[in-house]
Amino acid sequence: MLRVLLVTDTDKPIGELRDTLARLGYYMLAATASPQALHKAVESERPDVIIVDTESPSRDTLEQLAVMNATAPRPVLMFSNDANQQLIRDAVGAGVTAYLVEGLATERLAPILEVALARFAQESQLRERLAQAENELAERKLIDRAKRMLMDSQKMTEHAAYATMRKRAMNQGVKLAEVARQIVAAADLPD
Amino acid sequence: MNSPAYTSSSDPSGKLEKTHLRLGFVALSDAAPLVAAKLLEFGHAHGLTIELLKQPSWAAIRDKLLSGDLDAAHSLYGLVYGVQLGIGGPQTDMAVLMVLNRNGQAITVSNRLAAALDEHKTLPAALATLGRKPVFAQTFPTGTHAMWLYYWLASQGVHPLRDIEGVVIPPPQMVDALAQDRLDGLCVGEPWNAVAQERGVGRTIAYSSEVWPDHPEKVLASRRDFVTRYPNTARALVQTMLEACRWLDDDVHRVEISRRLAADEFVGVPAGLIAPRLIAAGSDEKRRAVKFFADGVVNYPHPAEGVWFFAQYARWGMAEWRDDFARIASEVNQVELYCEAAANVGVSVCADSPSAVLVDGRVWDGKADLAYMQGFSIRA
Repeated sequence: MLRVLLVTDTDKPIGELRDTLARLGYYMLAATASPQALHKAVESERPDVIIVDTESPSRDTLEQLAVMNATAPRPVLMFSNDANQQLIRDAVGAGVTAYLVEGLATERLAPILEVALARFAQESQLRERLAQAENELAERKLIDRAKRMLMDSQKMTEHAAYATMRKRAMNQGVKLAEVARQIVAAADLPD
Repeated sequence: MNSPAYTSSSDPSGKLEKTHLRLGFVALSDAAPLVAAKLLEFGHAHGLTIELLKQPSWAAIRDKLLSGDLDAAHSLYGLVYGVQLGIGGPQTDMAVLMVLNRNGQAITVSNRLAAALDEHKTLPAALATLGRKPVFAQTFPTGTHAMWLYYWLASQGVHPLRDIEGVVIPPPQMVDALAQDRLDGLCVGEPWNAVAQERGVGRTIAYSSEVWPDHPEKVLASRRDFVTRYPNTARALVQTMLEACRWLDDDVHRVEISRRLAADEFVGVPAGLIAPRLIAAGSDEKRRAVKFFADGVVNYPHPAEGVWFFAQYARWGMAEWRDDFARIASEVNQVELYCEAAANVGVSVCADSPSAVLVDGRVWDGKADLAYMQGFSIRA
């Protein structure tokens, strides 16, 4: 029976995987929630597969075990040479990463990853990205407008206008876009 | 003076292939160039907008560079070279666009070990007082901190693969682990050494500049095909980051950026713990503070420095020795792109091959052969 270790140290519902995988017949080891507990669990429990959220702060702990224990008499945990790389890549994109014993057959891994993937819909991530890009564009236009206003009203060069705005951003502890917003707002005030 | 003839493959019009870039960083003081570039929008003058994405681990930085979720990132020098060799994961051709900083990392030990060192003078004697295998933490298996720690331990007569247990713990949790007596020492970037000392749970006993004076540390990294597909964008990004690094070459600006780095969205540590070690490390000339620019000397991506990481991976059994390490490094480090970008923003180009005397007295001048690697008495 495959021994599966879940790392549950982010607020995503990865923990819910446990019951699903147990129902599918995998042996679920006690979940760990800290990098140090993880280190011990890998050494004492010797899991075949570790499933962890892409955003887990424990990732680098697993990297160390994967790289440095290659010659030690314990399981080598790494991106398997046999595993379907596309599956792994999809998993990374969807917010889940698996570390597995080298040589573990893809067909044994696939159902585990499929269940894990289902937990991490990508849709919300895409929406967030789009909103972010639109915001960037708006800020950029605003900064450009403020810069041109300074160049006109203060007879400044483009370089000097930027420098003035940067100085104000630093002094006030705000983003450059905020300074631009102030400049534009001040100019829009009725005389 | 002859200027080098560049054979640029880029669009001669200089039109940017991409204008919005997603850059990853990890919560460390030396993320300052990215934070400055974003807050002060140094990219706008070069046609770029920058989106900063804080990453919870170096593994996340690597995976997102590989998947294309990030265009470029604040990266451990060694991480790029580890991926290039396929150590611990899929091999991918990588690029070092420029060096972002030198120095600025340190080794901090528990109070108990620090006291033992005071009493017994040598590290092996001090470690023996613990009565068990010492535990040292670093940040990533192929990263810079692993390499500084291993090199330093070996220089003190301690074998990093046999005499200690090496673990990786995320930097924000290292200080807790030290406080709970679960670690004897750690090698990490600032501000975490300063935090450990401020909380009274450890003492910084070596600065990374003592291991290798002015060593390269974080780099601006991307996949190789980011450079080949978007050469004008990559050049504009280097120009942007060079301006940010130049801006940081001023103590007043470093105090200002410390206040900004303190925010939870960046480092989440009080500015009072960030600023001091951004400005000075120690009174000793060997204890050098972090450098971000120094007239561009910091930023030139010398392939010879990259070869050092390959040589150390071979030393520690993480990679087979190869005679073509120098060639691989010259393909990773984008010297031509860097020189074009530096010229465009008036940064002087320093192509002198660096040479340094490291903590064990050995000279590193970029010429690695098998004999150099075998010259280390402590190795895998």
